[in-house]
Amino acid sequence: MAHKDLRSFLTAIEASGDLIKIDDEVDWDQELCGIGRLSCERNGPAFLFNNIKDYAANWRILANPIAGWRRFAVGLGLPVDTPIRRLYEIYAEREQKLIPPIIVKDGPCKEVTIDERIDLFDLPVPMVHEGDGGRYLGTWDLVVSKDADSGWVNWGIYRFMVHNEHLLTGYPRPTSHLGKMFLEGYVPRQRFMPIAIAIGADIPSHLAAASTFRLAGNEAELAGGLGERPVGLIKCETSDLYVPATSEIVIEAEVYPHGVAQEGPYGEYPGYRSGEMGNAICARVTAITHRRNPILTVDTTGFMDSSAVTTSIAGAIAIRRRLEKHDVPVVEVYMPPEGAVHLAIVSVRRGGAATARKIVELLTARRALISKIIVVDEDVDVFNIAAVLHAFATKCHPARGTHIHRYEGRANALTPAYSLEERVARAGASVTFDATWPPEWPREMVPIRATLDSMYSPDVQRRVLERWNALGLQSQGRN
Amino acid sequence: MKDEYATFVRDRTRLLNGREVVLTLRDLTPGRKKYRGINVRAVVSQPPRPGEACLWVWSVVGLKDTSPYSIKIVKELPELFDAAPYSDFFEAMEKAERK
Repeated sequence: MAHKDLRSFLTAIEASGDLIKIDDEVDWDQELCGIGRLSCERNGPAFLFNNIKDYAANWRILANPIAGWRRFAVGLGLPVDTPIRRLYEIYAEREQKLIPPIIVKDGPCKEVTIDERIDLFDLPVPMVHEGDGGRYLGTWDLVVSKDADSGWVNWGIYRFMVHNEHLLTGYPRPTSHLGKMFLEGYVPRQRFMPIAIAIGADIPSHLAAASTFRLAGNEAELAGGLGERPVGLIKCETSDLYVPATSEIVIEAEVYPHGVAQEGPYGEYPGYRSGEMGNAICARVTAITHRRNPILTVDTTGFMDSSAVTTSIAGAIAIRRRLEKHDVPVVEVYMPPEGAVHLAIVSVRRGGAATARKIVELLTARRALISKIIVVDEDVDVFNIAAVLHAFATKCHPARGTHIHRYEGRANALTPAYSLEERVARAGASVTFDATWPPEWPREMVPIRATLDSMYSPDVQRRVLERWNALGLQSQGRN
Repeated sequence: MKDEYATFVRDRTRLLNGREVVLTLRDLTPGRKKYRGINVRAVVSQPPRPGEACLWVWSVVGLKDTSPYSIKIVKELPELFDAAPYSDFFEAMEKAERK
């Protein structure tokens, strides 16, 4: 079972050696997030900053609650060293066992309420990178919105920037669930859309918000499933939205149905600042509530940030389910953290050109976040990047093995490879690299891999491994 | 008047045409409100003019010009520009400039 709130999670990762507390004064202007950024790049710990320049001692900032598999495992209430494949299996199992939330009347996030004289600069919102368009409040957040017609409630992690004391600008992509709700349900009627930005909720709630969940799916139930306990939800002060009651901070706001202001640029999860600035939404803050001694959570976005594990694992499992639903003979899917949610590795029981084309078409049908897909045979371990690269380098035919699928209106505007014009039109392409043997090749013609497990008899394999172990070499391997 | 601002531009030629331009500025005064945004109608100069606030110009990917400009704010504008959500922010500013 997962931890009930952020603070109990912090106790756990401190005990496992995955949290460093800093009591010396640190500047919210770049320095603090620079430390978090370096930690992401070096697979380091989370940081809790207890003394922030210009702000009272009661405000604290937590950098990167979940960036790396160790903290992800603890976030699910699992042993810190749970293997990645096992994390995938457990996530997929729990995702199928949804647990409805419970409504509570009181909760820690209501300990302090600010509904008059709102000033976002009273919060120690950090400047994440030099050259960003402003200070980003929503990086590790959970944004709640409700469909104007069906009442469907969506949770998502979306970025929001402070413009002035009460105005936020944000970039939930137009193709995101929030963007779709807003553009289809509120803008045509020129109605404000209420949102609530919950910061520092329990970890499963943020994982649910980061997930690739189906349209009209209930992420609060997913959070309950992932954490194996119901999430307690509490009503907002100025809208009928509900947020996790243990959240550290809740920003209630309304999105303007008309009007724009500067948003971005911002160094994003693909690992670049790509110049997608300006095509955003604006929200006026209506209330702020928070815990006493609140902890503002931040994801120091960029290469190997939280999305490298959170969005990747949820995305990979969603891909597998989608392929299964459409009768693709999929075995496993892995999205390596280094691929920045742009690369998926898919193993199949039967490959070939038709399968490769079908995969790329299915995975780009509604919105296209993945731009590269490597398809391998089932004897290639998708979690073993060395084996995947070997298959890609040797089995993917440079001409016949490359299947490009182009689209417009649904490309990922944050993909650095796209030109400004492509981003504006959301035009792009995805490609499947077919690293499988053509199924039409006769079995006696298929090359045999020159590895111990393929080119030696079982008896020789057994004897080799026995001797290897007897020599004390068990731990010496690339896996 | 503040001493130092930053702005982001897609097209630098807009800045130095000798007439008033519409921009969003980030106030660089140290302290809690650093990076607060304001929309203005202003005249930008390079090289900087004595007595005017310093303006640093950044590209849309966040690349800073090596030499500063100066800025004379003529008027502060409303916090939102007249355009549909998700529409092009720079075009919205240019539209406001023509008014």
